[in-house]
Amino acid sequence: MNGTTEADPMEAAGAPAARSGEARSGRSGFGHTVEALTLALVTVALCVFFGVWGETSATFPTTANMEALLANQAVLGVATLAILVPLVCNQYDLSVGANLGLSAVLAAKVLSEGAPLPAAIAVALAVGALGGLVNGLVVTRGRVNAVVVTLGTALVMTGAVNGITGGQAIIQGIPSDLISFGSSQTLGVPNLFLVLVVLALLAWRVLEHMPIGRYLYALGSNEEAARLVGLRPQRLVLMSFVTAGLLAGAAGMLMVARTGGASPRVGETYTMPAFAAAFLSAAAIRPGRFNVFGAIVAIIFLAVLKSGLNLAGVQPYVSDIVNGVALVAGVALAAYLGRRRLRAARGS
Amino acid sequence: MNVAAASPSRVLVAARELHKAFPGTVALDGVSLELRAGEIHALLGGNGSGKSTLTKALAGVQPADRGTLVLGDAEHDASTFTPDDAWEAGLRFVHQQPSTFPDLTVAENLAVGAQFERSALGQISWSRQRRAAQAILDRFEVPVSPRARLSDLSAANRTLVAIARALASQREEGSGVLVLDEPTASLPERDAQHLLSSLQRYAAEGRSIVYISHRLPEVLQIADRVTVLRDGVVAGSLERAEIDHDRLVALIVGGQLDHRAAADRPALAAGTAPAVTVRGLACGRARGIDLDLRPGEITGLAGLVGSGRSSILAALGGARAAAGDVTVDSRPLALGSVAAAMAAGVAYLPEHRGDMGFFDHSLTDNLAMVVMPRYRRGLGSIDRAGARRAARELISGFGVRAASEEALLSTLSGGNQQKVLLARWLQRDPRLLLLDEPTHGVDIGARAELHAVIRAAAAGGAAVLVASSDAEELVALCDRCVVLVAGRISAEVPCADLTADDLNTLTYAEAR
Repeated sequence: MNGTTEADPMEAAGAPAARSGEARSGRSGFGHTVEALTLALVTVALCVFFGVWGETSATFPTTANMEALLANQAVLGVATLAILVPLVCNQYDLSVGANLGLSAVLAAKVLSEGAPLPAAIAVALAVGALGGLVNGLVVTRGRVNAVVVTLGTALVMTGAVNGITGGQAIIQGIPSDLISFGSSQTLGVPNLFLVLVVLALLAWRVLEHMPIGRYLYALGSNEEAARLVGLRPQRLVLMSFVTAGLLAGAAGMLMVARTGGASPRVGETYTMPAFAAAFLSAAAIRPGRFNVFGAIVAIIFLAVLKSGLNLAGVQPYVSDIVNGVALVAGVALAAYLGRRRLRAARGS
Repeated sequence: MNVAAASPSRVLVAARELHKAFPGTVALDGVSLELRAGEIHALLGGNGSGKSTLTKALAGVQPADRGTLVLGDAEHDASTFTPDDAWEAGLRFVHQQPSTFPDLTVAENLAVGAQFERSALGQISWSRQRRAAQAILDRFEVPVSPRARLSDLSAANRTLVAIARALASQREEGSGVLVLDEPTASLPERDAQHLLSSLQRYAAEGRSIVYISHRLPEVLQIADRVTVLRDGVVAGSLERAEIDHDRLVALIVGGQLDHRAAADRPALAAGTAPAVTVRGLACGRARGIDLDLRPGEITGLAGLVGSGRSSILAALGGARAAAGDVTVDSRPLALGSVAAAMAAGVAYLPEHRGDMGFFDHSLTDNLAMVVMPRYRRGLGSIDRAGARRAARELISGFGVRAASEEALLSTLSGGNQQKVLLARWLQRDPRLLLLDEPTHGVDIGARAELHAVIRAAAAGGAAVLVASSDAEELVALCDRCVVLVAGRISAEVPCADLTADDLNTLTYAEAR
């Protein structure tokens, strides 16, 4: 009852049990590896299944389908990275899709008015970063919940997109170089997917192997502890939103390259699938933690599932349902495995 | 003070021979207690005396192992007593933690947990709700409007609303038992008086009020009877006429053995210049704090809950805004910034372990977090191998029992977690080490190890400031103790010939 001053007898009771658990190492290294790779293995199994299943064996394992499958994930993949960075420190950015759409539309607009490609890329990144900066400043200075802020800015950005385009897609004047880059391969891998891989490696390096990334994870783990070890939580949150904006801008540019223009309604549709992949990332590679490669595995898993079902002639609504179930089941499984690992480590 | 208590009155609740054991400790060893109608019964005792266990047994939330509870005419086996039984018998508990909802109105607060007045269509009838609330407020003489938001009320009125809610749910008016745990702990003096006079009125109507408090002046003022627990037994029971300050202190601290660890610590060279000076520090309840902390010296901060112990440590650690002049190695320290304090060589471990650790992270991550620049390599990446090597050394150096340096912090026992968190800060070779309840909730073995680590840190040249609610710990660990009463330093004593009893007596001294 008197929690602040009196030692809790239950805690004393729990201590010996915990100690005996520490002597054991919990589960084997092999078990951890299998757990980390479960989703990747399921994805491979799905590929094999769609490759030999009568309904899809003629269409799924073709070069064309594989190329389309990977190329189509580039924009979603970068949007997922954008969501992942703030998510690591417990912040939700719901404006990534709208920000991506606005960046794409403005980049396409300057291209259609004759600006050179590097200028358009700069515009896309600047617009994205600016959106992220606004989000970050309102969250940190205004002390407003990020969900509310980014929901609001997403609406503003969507409105701006419609105002700029008048509801029409911009497809005039996009350089053919850009379009051919977006539809061709290098060494058999779609260029856009290679861009995703490069950005993912960069994000992985920053999040896992640079102090700033460790600080972001620490902040997500325990904000008060982060403050008490001298980190500046507000500054870290601001940086995570600006990074998310930059990545959203990059995703917008990829969308222009992929579709040969910018359509006003497409951007915002990326937000929810990207969140799905970011959440599912905690089920793979580093179980129990949002992580870059987990996100990439999750994206490919969801894409393979959707592609296979489409090719089998299943109605689109069925594949939506399967995707949704896979997401919830995957995250629930990750949570279960995490708890079990903790119990095993505690030896109870 | 209450007329009813003068004559022998009806026993509402009797606990007989309650026993409760936890692995390693006996929390209740045959405790008996009688609660009579119309009395305010103070329940006193130090930390670990069994007060909490006793109240939990009475509430049924953590039944005793054996014993009997007599509630009116009904006799219950204490080991099978449930919260429902306690509720049925008219026992009500108001805990120290706030149990009201600050964003809701008084009327809503009174209805939550009881019932909302509803219209035929099932929606809440706000007018009837307010009338019902007003009736309760009138009955218990709480001077607030049903429409007021709880957050707009004074702390005393918030507590009174919580008490009114508990009492209104008792079936028999003017009967039943109300247990209050430190209700005045966070109240200013004037508000506390307001609350105490209300309690006397409620008791006079025929209820029995169990009053748990560390504030002896209040106990002297309102208690009709006092029961003091110590080490799981009733150390003494006093009637109104027998209650006086010295007698209470003697019962609370008892003739405890002095478990001093006979620390053979080298005497400080006379005239060692202080590493840290504090002048006129004000933070929270603490006011006008002056301290000189010398390298190699362990200084204890003694005082009751709310005396300002924790505020002083948090202020020096940069974790709370504060005013005053502080120097570390003769350089002024900017208050209010953890980063500035760390840069000046201050290391601060707060009272709650939960505020310090990254529990779902590895020991390596937890240890490296405060020395990240050490592991910077080219292109800004981290020397992970170096961080793990350093973590392995710290783990073995501090005797941390863990599967490996990559084990999650959450998998360690409390004592080992505390060692990791101490190691985290000691690897920075701090000039000033601030420790708030450094051994709270750890077992005796780990406690001795933690004390050894703290002494070693002092021997290495750190000035150490330790706050603890455990007088024995301070006497055993420290070179001298500074006693805080109501936010001010009331005494400063060397620990060489000090006993825990002496120190407790000082902390219970009335604020003058």
